[in-house]
Amino acid sequence: MKRPPIFGLMAEFESPTELLLASRKAYAEGYRRLDAYSPFPIEEVGEAIGHHHSRVPLVVLVGGLLGGIGGYLMQYWISALNYPINVGGRPLNSWPAFIVVTFEMTILGGALFAVFGMLALNRLPMPYHPVFNVERFAFASKDRFFLCIQANDPRFDRAQTEKFLQSLNPKQVSEVPH
Amino acid sequence: MSYAPVTLPYPAPPALARIQRRSLVIGVVFLAGAVIAAIVEHSPAQFFRSYLLGYVWWVGITLGCLAVLMMQHLAGGLWGFVIRRPLEAAARILPLLAVMFVPLIFGIPYIYLWDHRELVLHDAKLQHQAQYLAAPWFIARGALYFLAWILMAYLLNRWSAAQDASGDPVLRRRMQTFSGPGLVIYALTVTFASFDWLMSLDPQWGSTVYPLILIAGQMLAALSFCAAILFLLAQHKPMSDIVQEKHVHSLGKMMLAFVMLWAYTSYSQLVIIWAGNLPGEISWYLRRLNTGWKYVALALVVFHFAVPFALLLSRDLKRNARRLARVAMLLVLVRYLDLLFWIAPNSLPGFEHGMPFHWMDIAVPAGIGGIWMAAFVWALRQRPLVPLHDQRFEEVVGHAPETA
Amino acid sequence: MSNPQDTRTGKAPVLAPGHTFATVTDKISAIVLSRRTTLGWVVGFGVGLLLTMLLLAAVSYLLVKGVGIWGIDIPVAWGFAIVNFVWWIGIGHAGTLISAILLLLNQPWRNSINRFAEAMTLFAVMCAGMFPLLHLGRPWLFYWLFPYPNTMQVWPQFRSPLVWDVFAVSTYFTVSFLFWFVGLIPDLGTLRDRAHSRLARGAYGFLAMGWRGSARHWKNYESAYLLLAGLATPLVVSVHTVVSFDFAISIVPGWHTTIFPPYFVAGAIYSGFAMVLVIAIPIRKFYSLGDMITMRHLENCAKIMLVTGLIVAYGYLMEHFMAWYRSDEFDAFMVHNRMHGPYAPLYWALIVTNILVPQALWSRRVRQNVGALFGVSIIVLIGMWLERFIIVVTSLHRDFLTSSWGMYYPTKWDWFTFVGTIGFFAMAMYLFIRFLPMISIFEMRTLLPEAEVEAEAK
Repeated sequence: MKRPPIFGLMAEFESPTELLLASRKAYAEGYRRLDAYSPFPIEEVGEAIGHHHSRVPLVVLVGGLLGGIGGYLMQYWISALNYPINVGGRPLNSWPAFIVVTFEMTILGGALFAVFGMLALNRLPMPYHPVFNVERFAFASKDRFFLCIQANDPRFDRAQTEKFLQSLNPKQVSEVPH
Repeated sequence: MSYAPVTLPYPAPPALARIQRRSLVIGVVFLAGAVIAAIVEHSPAQFFRSYLLGYVWWVGITLGCLAVLMMQHLAGGLWGFVIRRPLEAAARILPLLAVMFVPLIFGIPYIYLWDHRELVLHDAKLQHQAQYLAAPWFIARGALYFLAWILMAYLLNRWSAAQDASGDPVLRRRMQTFSGPGLVIYALTVTFASFDWLMSLDPQWGSTVYPLILIAGQMLAALSFCAAILFLLAQHKPMSDIVQEKHVHSLGKMMLAFVMLWAYTSYSQLVIIWAGNLPGEISWYLRRLNTGWKYVALALVVFHFAVPFALLLSRDLKRNARRLARVAMLLVLVRYLDLLFWIAPNSLPGFEHGMPFHWMDIAVPAGIGGIWMAAFVWALRQRPLVPLHDQRFEEVVGHAPETA
Repeated sequence: MSNPQDTRTGKAPVLAPGHTFATVTDKISAIVLSRRTTLGWVVGFGVGLLLTMLLLAAVSYLLVKGVGIWGIDIPVAWGFAIVNFVWWIGIGHAGTLISAILLLLNQPWRNSINRFAEAMTLFAVMCAGMFPLLHLGRPWLFYWLFPYPNTMQVWPQFRSPLVWDVFAVSTYFTVSFLFWFVGLIPDLGTLRDRAHSRLARGAYGFLAMGWRGSARHWKNYESAYLLLAGLATPLVVSVHTVVSFDFAISIVPGWHTTIFPPYFVAGAIYSGFAMVLVIAIPIRKFYSLGDMITMRHLENCAKIMLVTGLIVAYGYLMEHFMAWYRSDEFDAFMVHNRMHGPYAPLYWALIVTNILVPQALWSRRVRQNVGALFGVSIIVLIGMWLERFIIVVTSLHRDFLTSSWGMYYPTKWDWFTFVGTIGFFAMAMYLFIRFLPMISIFEMRTLLPEAEVEAEAK
C-alpha cells in the first residue's frame, strides 16, 4: 500500500464528554484506525473506539506462573537434588520453608511481565511519533482532548474526513504531517 | 421502640418464617437426639467435645457479626448499609449464646486436661496454669466476656432502633465513636476466650498468633454468612429493589481479604513452629500432620484457601450474588472444618491416636446451628430490613425512607 | 487555616475546590520546572549531603578495618546493623501501602500523597539494604547470596530466612521501583511538554519513552498499574513477614513467637505512616500544598497510625501473657530481663513512646492539630527504633548460658553510619522534590469534577 501523504487529521476538544461523544460518532461512522488522546484515563473512550480488553492480565498471569513454578523447581533442584544437605533433620524437600521464595518469585515474575508487557503492548519506547508534530498536541498532557483519524484508514478522505471532524464541533482541526 | 409486625416498614419476607420454623425443628431434633444418645451410650466426653465444636463455630459467626457491625460503623461504605440489619440481628442473639455456654461448664471435667488433679499434680508448670484456668476462674472470665459482648450488642441495637425512630444524627456519631473502642474490646475478649476455650485443650502448648487466626476466621465466617443471607433476602421484596451488584462486590472483596488473612496467619504459625521444632510446640502439629488428620489439613489448604481464593479473584464472580453466595456457604462450612481440626485431635487421652470422628461431631453442631438460625431469623424479622435513617439510605435506595 | 468541609460527608475534601486541569498541572509541574531553587532547599539538601559524606567516610573506614569498628561482638552480633535495617525497611512499607492497597480500596485521598510516599519507599529500602550488606563482613562478596552456578559448587540454603530475605528485599526494591516509575510515565510526558530548556525537555522526553496518552495506552496502562498494585499488596506484607522470620524462625527467647509476622507488619506500617507525616507536614507548608494535601490526608494517616499502633501493643501483650501463661523459664526470664535488666530504661522509654504517647491520637483535636501530629510522628519513629533495639539486643545479650552473657554498646561508627543513612534519605528526598513531580498530576486530574464524563454521554 502506498504511504499516504499525511499521517492523519486531528480534532481538539475541551472536555472528556466531548471527546467521548466524538469518538463514538467516529467509530459509528466506520473509522477504525483512530486514536483518542487524553491527559488522564477515561475508561469509556477506550471502549468507544473499540479497545475493549487489555491483554496485560494474561501476560501477568503467565509471568506469575513462570516465576512461581520456576522458583519452587529451582529450590527443589538445588536443595533436594544437586546439593542435598541435612539441616536439623528436616526433609530435603522442605516445602514449608520453600513457600516464601516461591511466593516472592511469583510476585517478581508477575510484576516484570506487567511492566514490560504493558510497554510492549503500547509499543513503547517510541522515540518518534507523528502526532507530536501538531503544536497544540503538547496540551494533550495538560487539559485538552484529541481525536486523531489516521490517513491509512480505508474510509479516510482528506476533505470528507475533515468535514466530518468539523461537524463534531471541535476547538480546531489540524493536519498531522509525517 | 418495638414494632408491631403489621406496620413494620421494609419487612422481612414471609419465606423467612418458614426457615425459622424448620431451623428450630432441626435444632431441637438433632440436639435432643445427641443428648439421648450420650446418656444411653454413656459418652458424655464425646458429647461435650462435639458441643464445644458446635458452640465455638456458631459463637464465632455471632461475634464476627458484632465486629463487622462495628467495622462498618467506623469505616462507612455502602456494603455496610445492606447488611447492617442481619449483623445487628446476629448480635442480638448473644444472650441466647450466653445461656448455651452453661452446658460447657458441665463439660469441663470431660474435655479439659487441666481440670484433672492427678495429671496436674506432677507438673509444676501445669499447676501454675491450672490455677489460672481453674473452673471458677474459667466461668468468671466467661461471664465477663459475655457481659462485654452483650453490653456492646445491646447498646448498638438500642441506638439503632432509636435511629430508626427519630433519625437523630447524634446517634450515628455515637455508634461510630463507640465502635473504635468496641473493636478493641472485641479483640481482647476473643483473644482470652480463645485461650480459655480452645488453646487450653492442650495446656502446655501456646501460640501467640492463635487468637488472630480465630479472629480472622470469625470475621470471614460473618461476612460469608451475610453474603449468603443477603442473597436469600434479595430474592424477595423489599431487598430485591435495594441490593446492587456493587454491594455484593464489596462483600466479596472483603471475603477475599479475610481468606488471605486466615491463610497468612495460619501459615505463619505453621512455619515458625515447624522451623523451631521445639518439643512443647511441635507436638500440636505432630498430632495433626502425622495422623489421619493430615487429610483434614489438606482439605483446609484446598477449601479454606486455594479454592475460595482462586474463585474470589474473579471480578465477575464477586459481582454475581448467587455465585458469591455459594462460595460464602462453602466458607461458613469450612470454618467448621478448621475448628474440628483445632479441637478434635486434642481431646482426652485415648483420642490422641488415629482420627477419631464421631457422628455427634456433626449432629451437635448442626443442632446448635438450627437453634441459632431460628433465633437469628426471629431477631431479623423484628425490625425493618434496612436501617431507616442511616446516612447512606438515600444513596443506596434512591429516595427517602417510606415509613409505613 | 481555612479548611472547607465536604457538605455530604462532613469531612475535609481530598482536593480543595477551585482547581481545573490546567491549574493542577501548572501548580505541580511549576515546582519542578519554573520555581527557583529556594534557600531552604539548598540548606536542607546541603545538610543531607554533608551527612551522606559522613556515611561514606564511615563505610570507607569499615571496608578498611572490618566490622570490628562497630559495637557488635559475641553474644550481640547483630547490633545496630539489624536494628537500622528493620527500622528503615519498615518505614518504606507505608509508601507501598498508600500506593497499592489504597488504590485497590478505591480511596481517592491517596492520589496526592502516593508519589512521594513511593519515593520514600525507594530511598528507605536503599538505606535498609546497605546495612545487611555492610554487616556481611566482606560486602564485596554479596553476590554469593544469589543462587548462581559457581566454581565452589555450593548453593544457598533455602531453609534459612536470611536467604528468604535476599529474595524478599530485592523483589521489593524491584517492584517498588517499577511501580513508582510506571506511575511517573504520564507525568514525565507532561513535564516533557511543559519544559522550557532543551536539556529538561530531552531528559524528561527520554524518560517518558514517547508516552502519548492515547486510549490504547491508557487501557493497558491502567490494567498494568492495577495489577502491579495487586501484586505489591501481598508483597509488602510478605517483606516484613520475612524480616520477622529472620527472628522468629530461630529459637531465641523473645524472637521465636508466632505473633511476630502480623505484629512486625503492623509495626512497619506504623512507623511508615509516621515518616509520611514527618515528610508531608513540612512539604505542604513550604510549597503551600495545603489545598492538595488536606487535613483529611493527615487525619487518615493518623488514624492508620492509631490502629497499627494498637496492633503493636497487642503484640507486646501477647508476648508477656504467653511467657507468664506457659511459664517457660527462658521466655519468662526474657520478659523479666526486658523490664528489669540493664536495658530496662530503654524498654520503658519504648512503652512510653510507642504505646502511651500515640494514644493521644484517639482525640480528634490532636488529629486535627498539625503540630501535634508532627510531634507524635517523631515520637513514634523513635519508639519503633527502640522496639527493634530491644528485640535485637535484649534477646541476644543474655544467652542461654550465663557464661555467654555480655553487653552491647554502639560505637561512634555505629552512630555515624546510622545518622549518615538519615542524611542520605533526606538528600534523596530533596533531589526527588526538585526534579520530579512529587504529586501525581494525572491522578489529581481525575479527582476534579470536570473529569467526570457527563451522565447523558454514558
